[in-house]
Amino acid sequence: MLEADVEVDRREFTVRAALSVAPGERLALFGPSGAGKTTLLEAIAGLVRPTRGCVTLTDRVLTSTEPPRVTLPPWQRRVGLLRQDPGLFPHLSVRQNLSYAPGTDPAGDELTQLADALGIGELLAAMPARLSGGQAHRVALGRLLLAHCDALLLDEPYTGLDSSLRRVLTELVAGLVAARSVPAVLVAHELSDAQAFADRLAILDAGCLLQAGAPDQVVLRPASRRVAELVGYLGFVPVRPGPGDGMVAAAGSQIVAGIHPERVRPGSHPGLGLVLAGTVTASRPAGAGWEADLQVAGVVLTCRLPDRPAAVGSTAVVTALQPPSFGPDGAALEGPAATAGPRQVRA
Amino acid sequence: MPVAAAGLIWLALLGPVIALVTHLSWSAVLSALEAPGALDPLVVSVTSGAVTLAVLLLLGTPLAWMLARGALPFPRVWEAGVLCSLLLPPLVIGLLLIFMVGPFTPIGELLGTLHLSATNTFLALVIAEVYESAPYYVLGAQAAFSEVDPRLEQQAELLGDRPRRVFRRVTLPLAAPGLAMALAVAWARAMGAFGAVVIIAYHPFGIPLQIWTSLQETGLASALPFALVLLVVALPLPLAAYTWSARARGRRRG
Repeated sequence: MLEADVEVDRREFTVRAALSVAPGERLALFGPSGAGKTTLLEAIAGLVRPTRGCVTLTDRVLTSTEPPRVTLPPWQRRVGLLRQDPGLFPHLSVRQNLSYAPGTDPAGDELTQLADALGIGELLAAMPARLSGGQAHRVALGRLLLAHCDALLLDEPYTGLDSSLRRVLTELVAGLVAARSVPAVLVAHELSDAQAFADRLAILDAGCLLQAGAPDQVVLRPASRRVAELVGYLGFVPVRPGPGDGMVAAAGSQIVAGIHPERVRPGSHPGLGLVLAGTVTASRPAGAGWEADLQVAGVVLTCRLPDRPAAVGSTAVVTALQPPSFGPDGAALEGPAATAGPRQVRA
Repeated sequence: MPVAAAGLIWLALLGPVIALVTHLSWSAVLSALEAPGALDPLVVSVTSGAVTLAVLLLLGTPLAWMLARGALPFPRVWEAGVLCSLLLPPLVIGLLLIFMVGPFTPIGELLGTLHLSATNTFLALVIAEVYESAPYYVLGAQAAFSEVDPRLEQQAELLGDRPRRVFRRVTLPLAAPGLAMALAVAWARAMGAFGAVVIIAYHPFGIPLQIWTSLQETGLASALPFALVLLVVALPLPLAAYTWSARARGRRRG
C-alpha cells in the first residue's frame, strides 16, 4: 500500500494532497497544467521535500516530517518514476539500460523474457538514439520493472505518442501493475488517458484534491462546478425545478446544470434528462459527427451530435442526459459533496 | 561571401603553422635538438604540464561540477573568481603571484619552513601553469557537466544508485567528451604558458622560455626548431581528445 499525505510549498500555492493506493491498484491524478500533479509524484519519489506530511510504502516510512523525522533518499525508496522523457542513458545500450539497477543480471532470463514481453527483444544491442518514441518508453518501463520497484509513478509518460501506441502501452502497464501487484499512480492532463488507465480517478486543481472516485462517477457526477469544468463540461445552463423531479432552463436562476458535449441527444426526451431548446449559433464537423453551439437561456452550449444540426439561426431541441446541477457556491446539489476545504478529499 | 570570409579567417588562423613548416630547415632542427641538454626543456614542460593537469583534475573538477549544478552559494562570485585569471594578462598574474607566494610573503615563508620555494623552482612553474590553464579547464568542464541532464542523474538515483555511483556511471561518462576537450585545451595552455612563467619561474626552463632565450640570444632561426617541438608536444593531446570526443558522441548516436 502506498500512502501519502503531504504539503509541498510552491511559488504560486501549496500542494496539499492525501492519497492511498493499494497493491495492484491504478490511481490517475488528473488536472490542468501546473496543478501540482508532478510535484506530488516527486514528493513521493523523494525528489522534492515536503514541508509537512508523511509517505509510506508497504511497511516502510519514506518521508515523515513528524518526529522521528525520516527522509529516505531516492536510491533507498524503491519507487520507480517514468516521465514523458523516458530518460534512457544515452551512452548505454538497451541491454545496459535495462540492467542498470544494482543487482540486475544483464544476461539473465528475467531480462530476456521481459524484453520479449515488451516487444524489445530484438533491440537489446541498440543504442537509445536509434529507438522510436514507443520503443524508448518500453525500454524505460522494462528498466523500472527489472529494478523491482515497490511502486510505479507515471508522469504523463505517453505525451507525444500517437493514440494507438498510447492504448497499447496503457494496456501493457495496466497488465504489468496487476501481475506484479504494485501500486501505480498516473499523472495525466488528458482525461481519456486517465480513464483508460485508472481504477480510480482523482482531480487535482491548484494544489488541492477536489474529488476522487471511480472514473465514470467522477465524470458523470462531478462534486463541484470546477470539477465539471475540468472533466469537460463546456456549458452551464441556469435551471429551476420543473414538473416532477425534472428541471427546466430558466434564465437568471442561481442553480446551473452542467452540459457535457458528449452527453447530449438530439430531440426532446423528457424521461432522459433536461430538454433544451435554443438557437444554433455555429456548427462544424467533429470526428464522425457534428459539433454545434446552441444559445439557451442566455448561455452558449457546445453539443456533439451524430447528424448535421439545423442551419445557423434556426431553433434546435436537444436533451442533456441526466446533467449534474450546481448551487450558487459551485457545489453539486446531488452526489458527492464539493470540498469546503483543501484537505477534505482523500484519493 | 560568407564562404570567402570563413575561408579567409581559417587560412589566417592556420597561417602561423604553415609559416613554421615552410620556414623550417630540417637540418637545423636536427642540429638544434642534438645539442647537449637541448631536450631538457621538453622534459621540464611535459612533467610540469602533467602535474598541472593532475592538480586541475583533482581540484578543478569538483568546482566545475558544483558550478554546473548550482550547488554553490553566490555562483556568480565563484565564476568571477575563475574568470579572474582568464581576464588578467599573464604577465600581471606573474607579477601578482610574486606578491602572493614570493619568499617574503606569509605563504612564501610557510613554504620556506617546508624547504620549498614558489619562485624559480619546479613548484613555481606548476603554480604559474595552473594559473594560466585553470580557467580553460574549469569553464570547459562546467560546460561539459551542464550538458548532462540532471533528470538522468535523478533517474539513476531512483533506480538505486547512490550519488557517488551515479557520478561514476552516468555523469562522468556523459561529460567525458567535454571533459577531455577541456583537459586538452588546458594542456595546450599549460605547455605554452609564458607570461606568468617568465616572471615567477624563469628557471627551470620549459620550452616556451627556451624559445624566448634562443630568440633573444641567437635569433629567429634557432628558435624555430623549439617552436616545432612545442607544437609536436602540445597538439597531439588536443587532437586525440577531439577525435575521441567525436567518436564517443557518434557511438551515442548509434
